[in-house]
Amino acid sequence: MKGIVFTEFLDLVEDKFGLEMVDYIITKSDLESEGVYTAIGTYSFSEMLQLLKHLSARTELSIDKLLLVYGEHFFSVLETSYPGLLASYKDPIEMISSIENHIHVEVRKIYPDAELPTFTVVDRSEKMLIIDYTSSRAMHHFGLGLMNKTFEHFDSTADIVLEKIKPDGTEVRFVIHKN
Amino acid sequence: MNNEIDILKRALAREKSARKSAERILEEKSRDLYRISQKLETLLAEKSAQLQGVFENIIDAYVIIGIDGDILKFNDAAKRLFEYNIDEEPINVVQLIFPEDHEYAMNSFLDLKKYGYFKNYEARVLTKSGEVKWVHINASIVYDVGRVPIAAQGIVRDITEIKNLEVQKEKLLKKLEGSNDLLQEYAHIVSHDLKSPLRSIDALVHWIKEDNQGQLDETTIQNFKLIETALEKMELLITDLLDYASIGAKDTLKEEVNLNDLMRDLQSILFIPDHIKVIMPKKMPTVIGDPIKLQQLFQNLIGNAIKFSDKTKGEINIDVIELEGYYQFSIKDNGIGIDQKFHNKIFEIFHSLNKSKSSTGIGLSIVKKIVDMHGGKIWLNSELDFGTTFYFTIEK
Ligand code: HEM
Repeated sequence: MKGIVFTEFLDLVEDKFGLEMVDYIITKSDLESEGVYTAIGTYSFSEMLQLLKHLSARTELSIDKLLLVYGEHFFSVLETSYPGLLASYKDPIEMISSIENHIHVEVRKIYPDAELPTFTVVDRSEKMLIIDYTSSRAMHHFGLGLMNKTFEHFDSTADIVLEKIKPDGTEVRFVIHKN
Repeated sequence: MNNEIDILKRALAREKSARKSAERILEEKSRDLYRISQKLETLLAEKSAQLQGVFENIIDAYVIIGIDGDILKFNDAAKRLFEYNIDEEPINVVQLIFPEDHEYAMNSFLDLKKYGYFKNYEARVLTKSGEVKWVHINASIVYDVGRVPIAAQGIVRDITEIKNLEVQKEKLLKKLEGSNDLLQEYAHIVSHDLKSPLRSIDALVHWIKEDNQGQLDETTIQNFKLIETALEKMELLITDLLDYASIGAKDTLKEEVNLNDLMRDLQSILFIPDHIKVIMPKKMPTVIGDPIKLQQLFQNLIGNAIKFSDKTKGEINIDVIELEGYYQFSIKDNGIGIDQKFHNKIFEIFHSLNKSKSSTGIGLSIVKKIVDMHGGKIWLNSELDFGTTFYFTIEK
């Protein structure tokens, strides 16, 4: 997993819960990196899982809820870091439909070792999109957060229903209705 | 308090390590970049060398010219063609243009600027030693990545020899025309010279007959008749030969010929016996060709049909159909017909099938020659005793 996902995550934790929380989840976890992250490095996804687990236990917020908030925060990182990629879209449904064939394709060119999910468009119209998420990392709520902010970015809102295709969340269907 | 300091200390230690590890990663990245750029440089050098090789080995002369007309590059073939070594003596394209072709060259350059290319430029150039050469050039503008013109490139082919051959051909054609005219005159003189002894013989025979009136026996009178027939045939042969020789010797006209008028004229020229009916289409087309020769064509074919009619009720059917690009005519008779085995030969000169006194075997050769001249084909369908149909086409 790219270092920027860790550094942004820990910054957000520090923002919301203070440096002490950051120190707590790092010392509680058994990390190969010893909690030393740089945005340009690459680290094991299991470290993220441990950090999330301890944060969830300490805050009594579910991992999904934490990932949702983090996804929403991460969108602003994308906005500042990759304005060009976003500028090529005029419509949120169009943009979400293009993650697989354009956005993440470009991401892979920049970071060949990025661990990216697979998105498959099932059905699409002007106001509606059904798209399936597949990833061994089961970060669907991170995706949900990104999607929410994608609509906001284009000054619109949507009802997004998330249906688990596999109980462990490695395969999830998003049913999106634009308002 | 102690606890807080510990937390800050740990955070600081992490930040410090993170900075170091970031520095290490960046260091590795820049080393990677350096290696890649080295690789690209080698690749570039390799590709440039390949390109240079292609440039030098093009068989035709290849020239690159700056926007101001200065020659930037000559490949080896170009160096040989123009005899300049541009590395030592800079030259401008204007120096290479043969003065008389200057305007044509300038117009072509304007085209090049306007359209980005020109094709099939043919003009003369001056080599360093002052030799004049004909060249054929295809050229195009070279643009930079921003579509700004930076140079022009051209493939220059030496066509001096081809041009010389063309000039030679032209001369030969002129000569041929001259000799054709001569031949034509010659044929007239010869035919006159050949015919006058015939006329003398004819006169002499006539005198002998007159001087010996009543004293000649039946056989001698018969023999004199045979001499007269032979003389007539000989005269006809000479006339036909002259006709055949004159077709194509003079320029063929290309004008609109209304075949309706032509047929009307023909009917008054041809002698059509009462027992033969000639059926014509209501309307004949107008074609492009030589009116005299076309008349000769129809006259010969219809004349033959009349000549070789052997039925009590003769019928000659003339017809035309319009096809793509040409008209197809047919002349059908119910006469004696032609044996299949002669169909290939009858258009050859002197191949008379019928040794009649009125036929020399040249008529169908003339017909074929006229059809050829009008871009057409001629063929026939025939059955012995039942009749013959001649078909021929004339281009529209
Ligand atoms: C400019 C737009 C985007 C950029 C530059 C971008 C870039 C990235 C990057 C760098 C990662 C981390 C890869 C790794 O850790 O190895 C990531 C992961 C992810 N991205 Fe995007 N992304 C964009 C838009 C989106 C959008 C609109 C979605 C909406 C669903 C999305 C869904 C995800 C998810 C769910 C992951 C987590 C990895 C996983 O689930 O396997 N991304 N993206």
